[in-house]
Amino acid sequence: MAEEGQVIGIHSIDAWKEQLEKGVQTGKLIVVDFTASWCGPCRFIAPILAEIAKKTPEVTFLKVDVDELNPISEEWRVEAMPTFLFLKGGREVDRVVGAKKEDLQNAITKHATITAAA
Amino acid sequence: MAGFEGFEKRLELHFIGHDPTTLQLGLRKLDFHCIQQTLQAVQCSVVSALGNSFFDAYVLSESSLFVYPTKIIIKTCGTTQLLKSITPLIFYAHTHLGLTLSSCRYTRGNFIFPTAQPFPHTSFNDEVTYLETTLPTTLCFRKASIMPSKSSSLAWHVFTATSHLHHHPYAYTLEICMTDLDPTLAAKFFRRPADGKSGHSAGKEMTAATGIGEINEHALVCDFAFDPCGYSMNGMDSEWYSTIHVTPEEGYSYASFECVGHVSGDDVDVDIVHVLRKVVQIFRPGTMSVSTTSLGNNEVWREVAGAVEPMGLKLRSCAVDQFPECGSVVFQTFTPIRRKSAH
Repeated sequence: MAEEGQVIGIHSIDAWKEQLEKGVQTGKLIVVDFTASWCGPCRFIAPILAEIAKKTPEVTFLKVDVDELNPISEEWRVEAMPTFLFLKGGREVDRVVGAKKEDLQNAITKHATITAAA
Repeated sequence: MAGFEGFEKRLELHFIGHDPTTLQLGLRKLDFHCIQQTLQAVQCSVVSALGNSFFDAYVLSESSLFVYPTKIIIKTCGTTQLLKSITPLIFYAHTHLGLTLSSCRYTRGNFIFPTAQPFPHTSFNDEVTYLETTLPTTLCFRKASIMPSKSSSLAWHVFTATSHLHHHPYAYTLEICMTDLDPTLAAKFFRRPADGKSGHSAGKEMTAATGIGEINEHALVCDFAFDPCGYSMNGMDSEWYSTIHVTPEEGYSYASFECVGHVSGDDVDVDIVHVLRKVVQIFRPGTMSVSTTSLGNNEVWREVAGAVEPMGLKLRSCAVDQFPECGSVVFQTFTPIRRKSAH
């Protein structure tokens, strides 16, 4: 798929719901990068995340701008950026608040295994 | 043989511009590349970073960086060449954002290992000369001063320069420097060997275990534990930052606490007494210096002695001076009422 290995930009609530639904069906880990255009730390981590995404096609990487999709960032209580939300089966399994390369990589490695279908 | 220099150099730069749209985000819009180049000149790097709606905070390999729309604060320790950040920052702010430098404030305590410092940090004279020649002449109101205490090894160095005697809003800055930390408490800032944790998660543990998390429970904390020892944190609470850096090794142990806050009339929005008491409780220093800076009514300094004397620290000296950019600076020093016995 063309989207694997890339960070997918989400620009509508529908696109968001679609990705969450896909995640529930496939059991794939979703990592959401909550970002803001005015946030320096987000620019610092963006290329690092893109590199990780390239090497981890079994994980879905999404990018949500908190100003563009405020209801989503509010729903998931995002207070500062970047916040990385880890979703499995539509539920939060972890979150990394701040541009922390090592913690981000560790969390991805930890949660990346696909849950075996029951 | 020099140990790690905990005492920081602190630089605060304010910028102005004419375009209100640019000023909304201002310096926060700088490409990360510009920040990286600036930090390279200083010889430090980013460990972690976080931003809220008011500012961006970076934990660095040697201290902290805060970027607001029209001001930057960099605080670095060790043998970093902090003043070398001025030229690149002026350049990037101007060429990328059309912003002009309007004021500069440089402060530091006394280095534990002064001969280990690189030029221009070899002496205050050298630093002042460097500042005088590097800053644009538009910053024409300048003053350099060494504020004394009763001890020759404890002084507060201040240099300020400003283009006009404008007023920054009602904020105060509180800078605390502590040496000769209680060894049992300082030991909490050493990592357990081969703990298998990242610096971020070990840092988080230290924040909780030492009580640092209780200084301001509303703040979002970005913390880091260095290997084999050392700790840094930035706290973010709406537009106010706080920052702590610890060098725990015996013989040259050091810890700093800095925060900014708002005074209006009789109200101090941060509970300064609580903050000061927690800081003393966490570090139990042999020497503590507290420098408060504010324009207008600097009443924050009055709270300090009353807050820490019940904790066994006695006020030993108090010096006051006025500076063109930042108003009044009050420098107070404290040592324990009863000298600790040698260990």
